[in-house]
Amino acid sequence: MSTQHTASNELSAEAMNEYVSVRIGDQLFGAPVDQIREVFAPQSVTHVPRAPDEVAGLLNLRGRIVTAIDARRRMGLPPREKTETGMALGVERGNEIFGLIVDSVGEVLRRPRSELEPVPAHVDANWRSMVKGVHRLEKELLAVLDVSAVIGTVARKNEAA
Amino acid sequence: MDDLISEFLTETAESLDVIDAELVRFENNPEDRAILDNIFRLLHTVKGTCGFLGLPRLEAVAHAGETLLGKFRDGELKVSPPMVTLVLQAIDQIKELLESLEATGQEPEGEDSALIGRLEDASMGKLEGAEQAVPEKPENWDEDLGRELRPGEVSLADLEAAFNNAEVDPGMAPEPVAEEPAEVQHLGVGDFDPELGRELRPGEVSAAELEAAFMNAEADPAVAPAAPAAPKADFITADMSQEEALQSAMAELKGGADANHGEGGPRVQQTVRVGVDVLESLMTTVSELVLTRNQLMQTIRGLEDDELKGPLQRLSAVTGELQDGVMKTRMQPIGDAWRKLPRIIRDVSTDLGKKIELVMEGQDTELDRQVLELIKDPLTHMVRNSADHGLEMPADRAAAGKPEKGTIKLSAYHEGGHIIIAISDDGKGLDTQRIGEKALEKGLTTHDELERMTEAQIHRFIFAPGFSTAAKVTNLSGRGVGMDVVRTNIEQIGGVVDVSSTAGRGSHFSIKIPLTLAIVSALIVGCDEERFAIPQLSVRELVRVGAGSEHSVENLHGAQVMRLRDRLMPIIDLHNVLGVGEAKQTSDEQAAFVVVLDAGGRNVGLVVDNVLDTEEIVVKPLSESLRNVQAYSGATILGDGSVIMILDPNGLAGEIVSAMDEETAATSQSATVTELDQQTQRLLLVRAGGEEPKAVPLALVTRLEEFDLSALENTNGRRVVQYRGRLMPIVPLGAEVTEREGQRQPVLVFAENHTSIGLAVDEIVDVVEERVDLQMSSDRQGVIGSAIIKGKATDVVDIAWYLDQSRAGEIQRRSASRRRKVLLVDADAFARRMIAPLLAAAGYDVTPSGGMHEVKAIAEAGEHFDALVGDPGALDRIRKEGLWADLPALAVTDWPEDTQAEGLTMVLPRSDRGALIAALDEVSQEEKVA
Repeated sequence: MSTQHTASNELSAEAMNEYVSVRIGDQLFGAPVDQIREVFAPQSVTHVPRAPDEVAGLLNLRGRIVTAIDARRRMGLPPREKTETGMALGVERGNEIFGLIVDSVGEVLRRPRSELEPVPAHVDANWRSMVKGVHRLEKELLAVLDVSAVIGTVARKNEAA
Repeated sequence: MDDLISEFLTETAESLDVIDAELVRFENNPEDRAILDNIFRLLHTVKGTCGFLGLPRLEAVAHAGETLLGKFRDGELKVSPPMVTLVLQAIDQIKELLESLEATGQEPEGEDSALIGRLEDASMGKLEGAEQAVPEKPENWDEDLGRELRPGEVSLADLEAAFNNAEVDPGMAPEPVAEEPAEVQHLGVGDFDPELGRELRPGEVSAAELEAAFMNAEADPAVAPAAPAAPKADFITADMSQEEALQSAMAELKGGADANHGEGGPRVQQTVRVGVDVLESLMTTVSELVLTRNQLMQTIRGLEDDELKGPLQRLSAVTGELQDGVMKTRMQPIGDAWRKLPRIIRDVSTDLGKKIELVMEGQDTELDRQVLELIKDPLTHMVRNSADHGLEMPADRAAAGKPEKGTIKLSAYHEGGHIIIAISDDGKGLDTQRIGEKALEKGLTTHDELERMTEAQIHRFIFAPGFSTAAKVTNLSGRGVGMDVVRTNIEQIGGVVDVSSTAGRGSHFSIKIPLTLAIVSALIVGCDEERFAIPQLSVRELVRVGAGSEHSVENLHGAQVMRLRDRLMPIIDLHNVLGVGEAKQTSDEQAAFVVVLDAGGRNVGLVVDNVLDTEEIVVKPLSESLRNVQAYSGATILGDGSVIMILDPNGLAGEIVSAMDEETAATSQSATVTELDQQTQRLLLVRAGGEEPKAVPLALVTRLEEFDLSALENTNGRRVVQYRGRLMPIVPLGAEVTEREGQRQPVLVFAENHTSIGLAVDEIVDVVEERVDLQMSSDRQGVIGSAIIKGKATDVVDIAWYLDQSRAGEIQRRSASRRRKVLLVDADAFARRMIAPLLAAAGYDVTPSGGMHEVKAIAEAGEHFDALVGDPGALDRIRKEGLWADLPALAVTDWPEDTQAEGLTMVLPRSDRGALIAALDEVSQEEKVA
């Protein structure tokens, strides 16, 4: 997959975007590498009763408490099978670490910045608010996640409540 | 920023705070040389250091201030408030300059000639020769010490000179500082001495080092007890390097800070200055260590390995000690948070023209610095409030027969794992009426509720969000940030704040806060599949319910309650609150635990499945995304590495407490005050819909009757029965009362003024004589509240409500004439709530009150009444106070024959309601004629 970018040799490194490719449902997403602190397998997530829907729970990441946000629920997708734990992207926001739980994590992709296209207007608005744009890969589309929007909305919605 | 500058900033900020407080002290004790010397020395050091760091603006201001102080010290000028204000202004200016120095690393542009001019003018005063900035010094004045030499003392300069000239024999070197030989061991040898302009010879000591040694010797109380403040002024000389000079200055500052404590004898402590962040990270590390220890203990608990147990026990003990030790490093005396207060009070008194004395007790009480930081602002706000709103103007105070000078007293002490801080003033107290009006205006309560509230309950409105009583916004407070913010801040750190106030006598605020926030011990409980932590501090006790336990959870109209030592306690089920698993049925088969929580001073029971463990936990703040879930106060990581939520008792109780009338608190309060006045009531127990019994005070029931169902007729949509030649309406006592075909319907008949009504019930159960202690009041119509009667939770029926119901549509009695006003005084809340509606129904305006303090407040508000009704004791006290002496006083009691009628217009049996109303009609009528 990493050899897919062909005609971009003349572009300098600064013009390239690097993404951690993740899958949420059937869709391939890219999370900008510079926003991801680490990737980890979420273990023993503590369910928090009465928490907002998107909050999957809290977990212990080397002595720090991480708030796990379920990307599927944010995207309005049906929950994963119980047997699948998924993977988590660690994101730091302020003093907190959030873990964005996705189905699976793939390799790191580099795409020229210039190839990022806006999300078509007829796509669901909620979904669109969490996606910065789309890259056309050979076989499928890579939607670029707006990580802070995915996490931030939870916090903001909560404030408004 | 330059390290030197940042250290200078820290030191100087502390010195300035000390100067602030000392100046205020000095103003009150202008004769106290020790204070003035201390101030002078501190300011002088600030000036000196500024000079060396190349901060001309700061230096100039400090110099001008110092000059003025010098005049005080030399007795050339008298100390007066304007003078002190001027010096304080100079201090403020220095603080401002320092702030911008801190922000930018640069001294700000501009100049302070106006302020300096005023300071200089003040220094010149009227005295001749005052032009000279530096006062003339006595012959044996010592520049280094900043004071005259005492007999037998030698000036440092002389000593140095002698020392330098003497070409000391190497073996004799320690002699000049023989008092402190150990110090000399550390002194460098063979260094270049800038002052001498050459390298030191073996055995020689540089002047700077000598000074350091000298200073240490001075600071030693055993050596120089006479010089606690050890003023050592101009030892910084021009030919020292900046670095050296600064270090000396720092040492001086530190010495000064120590000396400052030494009012009752110098207290020299060996201290090391450590950055807060170092302590914080140490704390975090220790917290992790504690957790790991816990984890290890948990693992080992299941094992039978004696070899591990010994070492582990030691590890545990050492960890505990380490934890205590680290905690101690975080402890600071609360006086640190109070340091700014004398200055604030001074400013308030100057601005408002009030005379205020600030008394502080228990400054040494220590608490965690994190807590200290968090309460600093609320405390300042409250003290300001007391000064601004609490205390009256001197003239008003004199008129009220109080000393002109008002007192604000701050005190702090330890109690259990808490620290209690009290702020009290002897001002006018809270304005109950005004607070009540404001609460109504803000929609925080209703007229009805307000009427039933005690004074204390009304006072608590000041903590309600958006509540500010200041009639006029002053410079000091009332800027929209009120006591609600104070409360929020205090509650955030797990504290509680309360107020009590007596009109004309002052208010008393008390704050109870935990000593530390970092590590708390917690109870781990299980609910369904999940675990939660409850801070031990809020757990009062644990009760097992169900399966073979004597306790059980009962249902009261859908709400859960439990009997605990003859009181009813509201119960919440954690399953319901959190929406997890199946709520426990109150069946006896399944055992469960009730955790009795202290939620804002009242008991609330929390049903959980299991109590698992107690553990020390490190509280971690809640994630941003969970902050709105009221049930939690934080999260923590347990010994086994799992994350669990920490329950917030106040948040949980919030689910039900708001629904619970504050009356509970009021009842218990008046019950403790007047325990002896508690009387038994004869009660009729009936069943009317449902299994739970209901109680009706027998005194109110005229007759018990049974009617054939066939006798009941319908007219105009109401059930009526022909009774003694009249139609009597029949009202079911509760909606679920059923009429059963072929059976006779039991009815309670209430007669009043030729009209009677009947209340239909299912069954008349019993008549009991019990002390009625209303445990929970109710907002359900027709029910006064619940009480334990014959060991069962029982609703007490509000007969007055039913009487009103049946009379709806009838012509109001006395609607034409003026409604007469009655003051009802009865310490017994039950009696009050029984009598008040009856009098109201008879056409009186009733003001109920529970105790003398309320009565006094009503009297002070200038309320007028036509008659007093109440228990004999209360009426007697009112008579003794000389309040409403000309009014008829009707005593109502269960034992009229045992009651002294002296001073009372009439003594009536409580059971005879008709007689009371008749008597009241009579006396208030007489009153009108007279």
